[in-house]
Amino acid sequence: MDASGDDITAAVNRFGLGAKPGELARVHDPRAWLNAQVARGADDGEAFAGLPGSLDYLREEAQLLATRREFKQGNPGRRALMFGTMPPATGNGRANAAELKRALKPYREEERKDLLAEAAARYQLATTTDSPFVERLVHFWSNHFAVSIDKRPARLLAAPMEREAIRPHVTGRFADMLLAVETHPAMLLYLDNVRSVGPTSRLGQRIATRLARRGDPDKGKAGGLNENLGREVMELHTVGVDAGYTQADVTEFSRALTGWSIALPRDFANGRQPQSAFVFRENAHEPGLRRVMGRTFAAGGFEQGKEILELLARQPATAKHLSLKLARHFVSDGPPRSLVDRMAKSYLELDTDLAAVYRTLIASPEAWEADARKFKTPQDFVISSLRAAQIDLNGRPQAVLALLKNLGEPVFDPRSPAGFSDDSANWIDADGLWKRVQAAEALSSRVAQADPQPLAFAMEILGPRLDQDTAQAIRRAESMRQAHATLFACPAFQWRA
Amino acid sequence: MLTRRQFLANAAFGAANLVIWPKLTFAATGSDARFLFVLLRGGLDGLESVPPYGDPGYQAIRGALALSPSAAQPAHKLDDVFALHPSFDYAAQLYAQGQFMPVVASAPPYWGRSHFQAQNCVENGTAKPDGAQTGWLNRCVACMPGVDGLACAAVMPLTMRGTAKVETWSPPLATAMNPILLQRLQPLYAADARLAAPFARAIAQQNDSAMSEASPGMLAQQSSKPGNKKAGGLPLMMAAAAGFMGKADGPRIAFVEDDGWDTHANEAAIVTRKLAELDAGLKAFHLSVGQAWNSTVVIVATEFGRTAHINGTGGTDHGTGGSMFLAGGALRGGHVAGDWPGIGAGELYQDRDVHATTDFRSVFKGILATHLGVPEPLLESRVFPGSATAKPLENLVGSGRSVA
Repeated sequence: MDASGDDITAAVNRFGLGAKPGELARVHDPRAWLNAQVARGADDGEAFAGLPGSLDYLREEAQLLATRREFKQGNPGRRALMFGTMPPATGNGRANAAELKRALKPYREEERKDLLAEAAARYQLATTTDSPFVERLVHFWSNHFAVSIDKRPARLLAAPMEREAIRPHVTGRFADMLLAVETHPAMLLYLDNVRSVGPTSRLGQRIATRLARRGDPDKGKAGGLNENLGREVMELHTVGVDAGYTQADVTEFSRALTGWSIALPRDFANGRQPQSAFVFRENAHEPGLRRVMGRTFAAGGFEQGKEILELLARQPATAKHLSLKLARHFVSDGPPRSLVDRMAKSYLELDTDLAAVYRTLIASPEAWEADARKFKTPQDFVISSLRAAQIDLNGRPQAVLALLKNLGEPVFDPRSPAGFSDDSANWIDADGLWKRVQAAEALSSRVAQADPQPLAFAMEILGPRLDQDTAQAIRRAESMRQAHATLFACPAFQWRA
Repeated sequence: MLTRRQFLANAAFGAANLVIWPKLTFAATGSDARFLFVLLRGGLDGLESVPPYGDPGYQAIRGALALSPSAAQPAHKLDDVFALHPSFDYAAQLYAQGQFMPVVASAPPYWGRSHFQAQNCVENGTAKPDGAQTGWLNRCVACMPGVDGLACAAVMPLTMRGTAKVETWSPPLATAMNPILLQRLQPLYAADARLAAPFARAIAQQNDSAMSEASPGMLAQQSSKPGNKKAGGLPLMMAAAAGFMGKADGPRIAFVEDDGWDTHANEAAIVTRKLAELDAGLKAFHLSVGQAWNSTVVIVATEFGRTAHINGTGGTDHGTGGSMFLAGGALRGGHVAGDWPGIGAGELYQDRDVHATTDFRSVFKGILATHLGVPEPLLESRVFPGSATAKPLENLVGSGRSVA
């Protein structure tokens, strides 16, 4: 195998997360280096030890809601007082609001602490890992199955979803990752499946009867189908929008997914301890056969939706959709068709095995062409800077979070289930480049003072991609800090080449 | 334009000042007309934003969630059929002055209910999600010699992508810049074929940054709503756009986007809050753009309307026909535009959505032709290729309030 400096740089800076000092020198066979990472699987190390699980987060949320409810029952708001529907209590509405805020403060602080701890662990691992290819894959799949934390209920759960549903399967079967994601509380909350109720399920009928008895024809209050998850699973997660499915397929699939729910606050009431964050609620599940994309699925509760997911995972359209996205991520904005087809073939032949797809990608000559390159997204830019200078976040990721928000890629917040764009056209513009230069300055101020040999440092990061002019500019830097800033801001550093 | 020496001197004087509100420069233009396009991503429910309270089907379909001028939270009555959502306080005032106009039952030519495909069509200006790699508003700028565009967004949206000169703007980082670093970077970027042009534009913008000059729009936004600390991103970005557009040498064409409109659950509360943001955005824009309001048209659009029926979770799913809004001092508004297909039995599209009777492109073309003066042959061949069936709407602009 050719182990030219260019291939080593491509393995470390394009397939990986950007060189750590010494990393380029340690890689002798770039393909073997990547394959070994695939064989090892996700590097969790101790990075996430001690972080709560999804069930813990759901319990925290339940406790917060219970505290709020108790408070409101004991302290009627101003509205209730005005309308005389409740006996007057002490204080007015404004004082009550302040008291409520005080009562909830411990929960809010805990939540803030958890969010920061999750982010610190994620970026610390990205900065230090020796499996940067697999770590990039974790981030890739996390963005493929995007959960946006601007939706309040999903806020605490996006990071745990990456740990619990993506990492364990990142080198396993896609079908298993798919099931883990679609049964994760983050996705079920984000795409509104938690309260999707089969209209003729026991729960659906009970609600309909109750509403009819009250003479209230408003179906909007509770009890009915929500097709958000079903549609996005087909359009974004699996077969893709051009796969030829119909509105009827979306509706049928959504019916099959009714009952896929989570441990709700009431499940934690009176000291009860649910065993799992995912809960299948038979009484909300729409009974009967389902017909999706030409196939019939027998009635069978949870298994029915699971079988449809398995069918979707194994579709040739899914193989093509996922292979194209992977090739676009690792090779170029317009990857060669031959490469995509070869990856899709591996996917189908080996029962949705992702490791096989990655190995095919690594073995393909198209992946190593001289013109294969990607413009770094803000997240690529920030992580590769952290790695280059081995910046220690010390458990304080706030500056990184603020930087990514300003650069247009806020963490776990793409504002859309389609995730962040993976196309250079979205990221290359004047304002973005300017902010990147500013960010380079900001990041350079966090570098611990190191061995003052700027040129050797730049060569360790860019390898043969360090051109004469850039080397010159870095050599002329008046301080180590400016050398770091120049490296992070220079055009060669903006590409994964 | 400052010389490089002045720039460096200023930088040495106070580097922090350099990064405060860069004043983008734009070519002078003969035309005074201005146009802002606001894209609401996620799919705003047209039956919620412009409730057809006078349609006998409406109450039946929306039940307790139905809005009307006689409800406890009264909607703003527009005519005997339509009202505006209660959050539209400012829009209702503009409507009364003939400066606001909803277009009901409108949609892009794609009716497939995918957010992303539909947004692509709204942005690329064709009937197909991959029908063009550039945006219609960029192609519009290209048809207007001497006119520049501005996208108020951290990343360039498809609507504004293309060959014409369009800049992006978003609130800057508060980091001081070392001018020496910039000097060093310039030759390096000049040698990178893909990055040279955008980097040169970035430097040009910064060189021209007027010392410590805050965007007038931002100031107006901050002072227009004292005590409103929670004003969302949309008012801020609309005010910023107005700040740039209001200047004599500012951009004539601008783009602002917002998200969070995908109301699958608990729709009533979310729409109430989001429409209040849009309403505040219109107000902030009006106050910030100053006299230029009189020569401005704003179009607010979303990728699709939503299901007529409420779903099982107090929300609505992806649908077809929705409402778009026009505003501005140059608008001939004060009435409801668009043919209403009704939402009674048998009137819904696929027994589910509001039928779309107006193609977005008809509205866009009407504004581009009569307000911005884009020649009709260019409209057909360049800006909206393949849109012959979508005839430009007429009488959208001009003096005097029109009669419905």
